Amino acid sequence: MILKKSILAICLLAFSCASAAYAADAPLITVSKSDTISLGMQPISGPDGGAISKYLESDLAATGYFTFASPGSASLIVSGQSSGGELDGKVSDHSGRSAVAGTYNGDAHARADAFANDIIQTLTGNKGIAGTRIAFAATRTGRKEIYIADFDGSDVQQLTHDNSISVGPSLSPDGRLLAYTGYKSGYADIYLVNLSTGSRDRIIKYPGTNSGAAFSPGGDRIACTLSKDGNPELYVCGLNGSAHRLTHTPGIESSPTWSPNGDEIIYSYDDHGGPQLYRISSSGGSGEHISTGFGYCTEPDWSPDGSKIAFNVRQNGSFAVAILDLRGGGTRVVAEGERPVWGPDSRHIIFSNDGTLYLMDTQSGRKKAIISGLGRASEPTWAH
Amino acid sequence: MTSKLVRSTVLLSSILLLASCANMKKHGSGGGYGSDSDTVGGTPLPERQDGVNFMSDNVDKHQFPPVHFAYDSYAVSPDDESTLQSVAQFLQSNQNTIIIAGFTDERGTPEYNRALGESRAEAVRDYLVHHGADGGKLQTVSFGAEMPVDPASDEDAWAKNRRAEFGVVK
Repeated sequence: MILKKSILAICLLAFSCASAAYAADAPLITVSKSDTISLGMQPISGPDGGAISKYLESDLAATGYFTFASPGSASLIVSGQSSGGELDGKVSDHSGRSAVAGTYNGDAHARADAFANDIIQTLTGNKGIAGTRIAFAATRTGRKEIYIADFDGSDVQQLTHDNSISVGPSLSPDGRLLAYTGYKSGYADIYLVNLSTGSRDRIIKYPGTNSGAAFSPGGDRIACTLSKDGNPELYVCGLNGSAHRLTHTPGIESSPTWSPNGDEIIYSYDDHGGPQLYRISSSGGSGEHISTGFGYCTEPDWSPDGSKIAFNVRQNGSFAVAILDLRGGGTRVVAEGERPVWGPDSRHIIFSNDGTLYLMDTQSGRKKAIISGLGRASEPTWAH
Repeated sequence: MTSKLVRSTVLLSSILLLASCANMKKHGSGGGYGSDSDTVGGTPLPERQDGVNFMSDNVDKHQFPPVHFAYDSYAVSPDDESTLQSVAQFLQSNQNTIIIAGFTDERGTPEYNRALGESRAEAVRDYLVHHGADGGKLQTVSFGAEMPVDPASDEDAWAKNRRAEFGVVK
């Protein structure tokens, strides 16, 4: 997609050093405005230039890495020409030296996403997340239905029209499949939607409640909670509905999340007195308690780089988003809200708070509302 | 915090189950269990009946009053024993199936609430089974925090919404 690229270090060196320091210890810091890169956006020329400009600015703004200024006062100027289905994009300084230059193709949105990711990766050193897909439940129609969108809240589409209760979506790592909990049968069953073909099957429909689907890293298995044996337990299911039981306890298991290599699952377990995080082999065995320092821990999500768990805690009667560093860095609370999920860069999270979805850079603490006005939005999932 | 005490002292059915499962003593650090038995914590559910669910017209949801729970607890309350005894007696003298639906209040995260609602339904089912009902005639479903009886956000509403309802299949 990128035919040519040239990079000049120029004024970027200082930012790169700061960025590397953040990556080493990831503290929650109060960010001053100078920690962002100032961009001046010139309108993209060409027949679909307006649409590309809009997508590009939304992608860049959502990450929290950039601030926008007039081209005259910004540090770097973003410009581009679109013609014949190709976008020639460029980022340069005031002396005209080029920091990013590339040619991008696909539809207008895909070209904008590819240019945005090139800008993010080159200027910040972090993985680009433009164009990645999210899903969530929302009450716009008066019923909870599943919606899909881009990570920045653009291109929202209503996926289900069940007119029932449709909740708990999980996107497969490649973003092509979506599993969710639906009550169309009057019971909670797990449905599988192929987003390419639109086909939908009720794949997990055992007696009792079937819920909490989480795709394995390979996308070929689903961890979930089934109560068919008389108590909520964790299972790993094939996409054909076959179920292998992992846990055997009298308490409540819920919300499994997979390690990046698929060997382990972290989940929430409530024995007698507040749900806690546990980890277990994805082939079964005994759960091992994970100490977080909090008495109520639910809905964990394992970062794709394997180093962190985002989850919910309750403190002082309200719910907050916490991040546990699995490499010994302890737990920190980063925001008010519920149900955090990691992006593919293991740095941004999306979570809900009071019916709105937010995108947050967990290192800088910057956040942005990405989904609002669809009734109450909840339970985000982010393909990674 | 009091709910924890209630839960740990009143879950009659779990106490019975614990007593009957000698191989469950393998506590991991912080309370993880290991067991080879697939029946720990409950009696397997029967197959669903076609055309019958908690929302369908062939189910009477008002024959028995709901039973209620403390916050973040699935322990059956002593206050509800007379209701549960009458449900157990009904099941012993009739052929009807009952669908037990578990619900939570609006607080807490949605997936945890779905599991908690299911545990409430299953705790009620365990109680009934241990009081003579046939587990093969007891189905469960959880709606989590959906379908509150009182949509207000206060203690009174939350107490009403933490419940299990009985749907008698006609």
